[in-house]
Amino acid sequence: MSSTGVQSILKEESTRNIRQLLKVVILFTIAGAAVSSRLFSVIRFESIIHEFDPWFNFRASKYLVKNGLYNFWDWFDDRTWHPLGRVTGGTLYPGLMVTSGVIYHVLRFLTFPVDIRNVCVLLAPAFSGLTAYATYLFTKEMKDESAGLLAAAFIGIAPGYISRSVAGSYDNEAIAIFLLMFTFYLWIKALKVGSAYWGALCALFYFYMVAAWGGYVFITNMIPLHALVLMGMGRYSPRLYVAYTSWFALGTLGSMQIPFVGFLPIRSSEHMSALGVFGLIQIVAYVEFLRQYVPSRQFKTLVKSFFAITLVGSMAVLVLLTLSGVIAPWSGRFYSLWDTGYAKIHIPIIASVSEHQPTAWPSFFFDLEMLIWMFPAGIYMCFNTLEDHHVFVIIYGILASYFAGVMVRLMLTLTPVVCVAAAIALSNILDAYLSVKTPVAPDAQTASISGEVSEPDTPVKKVEKRRNLLDSTKGTIIGIYSGTSKLMVVGAFTIYLFVFVLHCTWVTSNAYSSPSVVLASRAADGSQHIIDDYREAYYWLRKNTPEDAKIMSWWDYGYQIGGMADRTTLVDNNTWNNTHIATVGKAMSGREEVSYPILRQHDVDYVLVIFGGLLGYSGDDINKFLWMIRIAEGVWPNEVKESEFFTSRGEYRVDDQATDVMKNSLLYKMSYYGFERLFPSGQATDRVRNVKLPAKGPELNTLEEAFTSENWIVRIYKVKPLDNIGRDHAAASAFDTGKKKTKRGKAAKAARKLRVV
Amino acid sequence: MRFATNRAMTSRLYTIACAFGLFASLASAASLTGPRLLVVLEGQDEKANYSQFFGDLEERGYQLKFESPKSESLSLFTHGEREYDNVILFPPKSKGYGPNLTPQLLLQFANQAGNLLLLTSPSSTPEQTREFARELEISLPPRDFSLVDHFNYDTLSAPSKHDVVLVPRPKASSSTQNYFSDSDSKSDVIAFRGVGHTLGNGPLLNPILTAGRTSYAYDTKEDATYAEDPWSVGSQLHLVSALQARNNARITVSGSAEIFSDEFFGMKVKAQGSNKKVEVANRVFAKEVTGWTFKETGVVKVVGIRHYLTSGVDAPINPSMYRIKNHVTFEIELSEYSNDQWNPYLVPSDDALQLEFTMLDPYYRLPLLPSTFSLNSTTFTTSFKIPDQHGVFAFRVNYKRPFITNVDEKYTVTVRHFAHDEYTRSWDISGAWVWMAGIAVTVAGWVAFCAVWLWSAPVAGKSKGKKSQ
Repeated sequence: MSSTGVQSILKEESTRNIRQLLKVVILFTIAGAAVSSRLFSVIRFESIIHEFDPWFNFRASKYLVKNGLYNFWDWFDDRTWHPLGRVTGGTLYPGLMVTSGVIYHVLRFLTFPVDIRNVCVLLAPAFSGLTAYATYLFTKEMKDESAGLLAAAFIGIAPGYISRSVAGSYDNEAIAIFLLMFTFYLWIKALKVGSAYWGALCALFYFYMVAAWGGYVFITNMIPLHALVLMGMGRYSPRLYVAYTSWFALGTLGSMQIPFVGFLPIRSSEHMSALGVFGLIQIVAYVEFLRQYVPSRQFKTLVKSFFAITLVGSMAVLVLLTLSGVIAPWSGRFYSLWDTGYAKIHIPIIASVSEHQPTAWPSFFFDLEMLIWMFPAGIYMCFNTLEDHHVFVIIYGILASYFAGVMVRLMLTLTPVVCVAAAIALSNILDAYLSVKTPVAPDAQTASISGEVSEPDTPVKKVEKRRNLLDSTKGTIIGIYSGTSKLMVVGAFTIYLFVFVLHCTWVTSNAYSSPSVVLASRAADGSQHIIDDYREAYYWLRKNTPEDAKIMSWWDYGYQIGGMADRTTLVDNNTWNNTHIATVGKAMSGREEVSYPILRQHDVDYVLVIFGGLLGYSGDDINKFLWMIRIAEGVWPNEVKESEFFTSRGEYRVDDQATDVMKNSLLYKMSYYGFERLFPSGQATDRVRNVKLPAKGPELNTLEEAFTSENWIVRIYKVKPLDNIGRDHAAASAFDTGKKKTKRGKAAKAARKLRVV
Repeated sequence: MRFATNRAMTSRLYTIACAFGLFASLASAASLTGPRLLVVLEGQDEKANYSQFFGDLEERGYQLKFESPKSESLSLFTHGEREYDNVILFPPKSKGYGPNLTPQLLLQFANQAGNLLLLTSPSSTPEQTREFARELEISLPPRDFSLVDHFNYDTLSAPSKHDVVLVPRPKASSSTQNYFSDSDSKSDVIAFRGVGHTLGNGPLLNPILTAGRTSYAYDTKEDATYAEDPWSVGSQLHLVSALQARNNARITVSGSAEIFSDEFFGMKVKAQGSNKKVEVANRVFAKEVTGWTFKETGVVKVVGIRHYLTSGVDAPINPSMYRIKNHVTFEIELSEYSNDQWNPYLVPSDDALQLEFTMLDPYYRLPLLPSTFSLNSTTFTTSFKIPDQHGVFAFRVNYKRPFITNVDEKYTVTVRHFAHDEYTRSWDISGAWVWMAGIAVTVAGWVAFCAVWLWSAPVAGKSKGKKSQ
């Protein structure tokens, strides 16, 4: 309405194209920033797959590219979980591999000679750009384009998301966060428009999400919860009905096409809420229909009785079906979301994963920095307007922040909503303080600042709407009059944003860009020293062992052995069979005499252990040992006892005070075998646990050392065959070293055993 | 997967190699291990005492090399490889064996698949022999202990000392292979002078010749005419025992060297209470013992293994992968070496050759029955249906019997689940027809409803504000 210079230029019809262009340029810049900040690891190290799970995904992608989709679908993997094998095609989320497979084939078709490894390494950064776009769309629906652009910028560099999507972090989450945000955007769109078209699109992307990540259950429960809350608020509308039913029907059918999901959507408790809300919305729709025909007095009693009956009836059916076993009860992972101590007691295998631990509070600041305190403000803004789609952000925010507090890895699902809420809040602030509509506004300064943080077209649009809190509290006075306060607030936020960018870059560079298969350390003079023991050892396995050799290790390293060494493993990070893992735990924690038959039965050729005692690498097997013992104890409570590994004073020790059970356990022996040779006599020191070790190292009879990496991080032992003439191994090695058996004189005759004829 | 084919290929190569070996063996020794035989013996007169024994060996193609126990030049290995294929150790007259015949070296010789015949005598069993025997779970009696039997002794040569014991030849058994009870022999008794030993319960140990129930071992240096405290008695005492190592190397321990001497070969004995002088079977027995120890007999070879889909016409042989509930056939072809030729292997009547289909534990244990015979081999076959369990299974034939080489074959195959298009289609299941009819009716009903809805014109004036949205 006003006619200051800038506004009149922006309002002109001809400049719309420029604004559009600016928007596109900004979005591309954000995507570029998102991608490039994720490339630290590639630049520092090399184009390599990171950590553990990505190695499996990479191996599966290679299989897919090599053998085609149908073989991938029916893939029975005989090189993991020996000898059980794994129905891999039916027990994975294929979305990630299929995505990179499609990209690979498209690039090949376009005659780009690209390697599947590079597709896999760079998939996560590429999708982070898309995530930024999806977040932009989502936030645009919530507020406006300027908030959308802010949200896109936030999600692009927020460390909470970067932690799972740096180059090389080829995990399901890499594409899942994009799908999550895009599905939510489509849901909001479907709800706003009330069209089956958008509902169907939402279902389509929901299907993609189901194909990509187990976290799809979050969507499965978020959308019904949103619909339920809307109905509870009395906001039922035909739009909601159309959006929800089309999403649910198509989405459920779609999700059932994924072999791993199968019939879960109608049989497991986690999916029951979606089904229940689907039923409820039919009832509500019917009631709404009836309302047109029945007088309101009778209508109320009718509705009440109707609801009571259906509620009781459906609950009874649900309980009955759960008890009879038709519907699977809640899974252990689900329980552990509500009771953080549950997993530790009942399912140690879940608790043993570090990313399933509760989040420490500093990590919220570490991962989200200033967004974490903008977040409540954004939620408040949503309450302030509280349209149907704002309810969604509120529910999402509350649920995600609870889950993020329970499990470290769920920080990932919190990050997008934090970015959205913070963008709404910040956008509101900038709307108010960058407004040029005030009589004495210092235009020049604000304009110059606004160029830094937000695009120049935002003020006008926002002021016109004028729905936000800050305006309303001022009553009739609209806008900020004092130029100084504008300058200060805007200046402060500019600094905040700069610090935010610095923090994100620093965190990304220092905390989240390590591949973890390659360790980097700094020497005293600041030069970088690369510790490459893992790859050294895996490469040794690949080159020096028969192709069908079976390697036993703790399950953490299963995927890496499969991916890097290409050898058969007993257990891996897909922890589907607790008993098999417990068997490995038993073999590791047992005496040699106990372990050897287990190794023989499972055809184990080599045993691999991680030992950090020389280097001070704390993530080694001795530190994970208690979990092995606990998991084994869960299956064989009479044979493996955790308490026997603690001294009488309740300490977990590895030095000469250690218990005999500890000292005789296979893992202890393998870790410290020959370690004392590196030190002067009696000086052997474990640098992780900072203790002196016994002067005499453990003896190994049934295994022989095959390989120890440069820094002793990876140690590989070969399982000896049975003794050629039927002795036990201890006797055989005693004989080889020249120790004589005790002579049997006449005195010992009586005790001589008779041969069974 | 590649494993199985490799194994199949090696077995084929093995067959070829053995065929060559067969021709070669016509010219050289009958032993499968090889003709190079080391005899550790002290003194030329000793050698003369065993002239028939050595003559028999040379006749069978062995290249004998004599060395003294203390010899410096004696070495069992050259550049880590065996120098000899077979070794006979006679008890040394002196205190013991030299540094080249330590128990560790002897064991290493066996670990490299060399065969050993270890002869002991009551008077001179050195500590090295004892120590070596202990590792085999064979315990030798102390020095100067001797075996006597007051009921079965030779009245001619040992009328008072009763130390030439007459032992009947090993009996033929219906559950094991019989390599020590050749029925052609005229005689049925073995004269034995020496000492027995006792055996542990190790599964690799098998007695060849066991003392009679009335025999015992006692200290000959004691003055008493009877044993107050016998070292061991009856059938716990074994005279000749064999250990077949896991790599099929054979170690035979005899309680007496003398039974292979010319004196015992030509001996005629008269048992107590019998008037007839009979010839002894020592010479035949010596041939059988050395023949078995040096792998002229009792060697069973797997010629080939085949497994395939039973129903398939052109089913591939030895595929690396099967599906659950497939019908498969497994064949194993066994051949036995006896003296100088490969013959079809025959399972003893009270024994069974079995196939295990195993993953951690056997899911099936099925008898393998002979189906076809060729000139040199027998094919044993069985068919079965793969269990409804996917995983890495193994066809395993674990046939370890006394006196024959171990047959322990393990062929790993992957058993996969049903592929997505291998399930029975819904229309082939009669029980599903109800549901399919339900679907058809629903679809038809919906289409009909739509048709009616679309083609029925709304009656004007009757609309109740239906289009409220």
